[in-house]
Amino acid sequence: IDILTEQRVTINNEPALKRLREQIALPTNIPWSETQSVTSTQAVSVADPDDDLNREVAFYNQALEAAVLGRERIRKEGGVFERPGDYFAEMIKSDEHMAKIRQRLLDENASIQASE
Amino acid sequence: MATVFKQQKSKQDKAEGVVAHTSEEKVFKNKQRVLLLSSRGINSRHRHLLTDLENLLPHGKKDAKLDSKSKLYIINELADLNNCNNCVFFEVRKRQDLYMWISKTPNGPSMKFHIQNIHTMEELKMTGNCLKGSRHILSFDKNFESSPHWQLMKELFTQVFGIPKTSRRIKPFIDHVISFSIVDNRVWFRNYQITEKPLEHRSATDTTDLTLVEIGPRFVMNPIRTFDGSFGGQTAFENPEFVSPNVARSNIKNAKAGRYKSRMD
Repeated sequence: IDILTEQRVTINNEPALKRLREQIALPTNIPWSETQSVTSTQAVSVADPDDDLNREVAFYNQALEAAVLGRERIRKEGGVFERPGDYFAEMIKSDEHMAKIRQRLLDENASIQASE
Repeated sequence: MATVFKQQKSKQDKAEGVVAHTSEEKVFKNKQRVLLLSSRGINSRHRHLLTDLENLLPHGKKDAKLDSKSKLYIINELADLNNCNNCVFFEVRKRQDLYMWISKTPNGPSMKFHIQNIHTMEELKMTGNCLKGSRHILSFDKNFESSPHWQLMKELFTQVFGIPKTSRRIKPFIDHVISFSIVDNRVWFRNYQITEKPLEHRSATDTTDLTLVEIGPRFVMNPIRTFDGSFGGQTAFENPEFVSPNVARSNIKNAKAGRYKSRMD
């Protein structure tokens, strides 16, 4: 039986995309701290997306570069970057959750040592 | 009465040569608010992802589940009622496939993504933590500059995921990075905590004092379509490589059926 492969007409209306971008774009002369967005200097290229380790290393490096650049820029604009040691506030993960994570790490270490 | 007074006042000012402060001198204010909501039929993993996003975005407003999956344009009105100008909508199909709409309400554009490989913050694998409501740095891959469709996506993400300076409930420090990378024509979302080595453990010339620890959530966004309007309108971009999860599932099933058939023959 002949399987009729579906011919898909793909749309890529570049002028419309450009116009849409201009329509919503923020002004370019605003201080960096309004958006805090950093574009990496090197494009992420991962040969095999299923290769977890290399892929995550690439993402990590991209984010690290942004963090370093971001800190520079924030300091240049007179903002505060790091949190002082005596500043306590609600965290995104609760203390119970963090305790669970710590316990899990300890358990893992214990099981590794037990098997050795 | 006040308007009459103002009119009179401005007339008087003009006569006296006082230059009125026009709107051109107004300082630009990045005002973004995001409406977060889902359709009915959401499962726990998707729900956790939505709460994670809500926690990460202090300028977000979570709303109740939406009943209808066909009349999505009513979200525009919902967003307006909540004073939101952005929307993230989780459309769940068959209780397993998650589609995420990101839209600039009410006039668009909007984008639809298929979300894959979800790991939420609840999972115990990711050990990072950060302040609730601290503003993050957005990190974009350079690939986002490569074509108009990615550029538009970058602009949209900057506005939806970037926390405005004037947002309520924010904390004044920066302790995490959200990164978007393009691999395999999909967008990979990661969230890292920034940790600094304490001063006494590093030399003055050391620039590698920052390390990252992943906080979560992580997911992959597979773009499907870009629309001209908000939740509808003309298609400006369609991803040719997108395979619907239904088709993918039926292919797997068919392959299995083929194996059985060949064994029977």
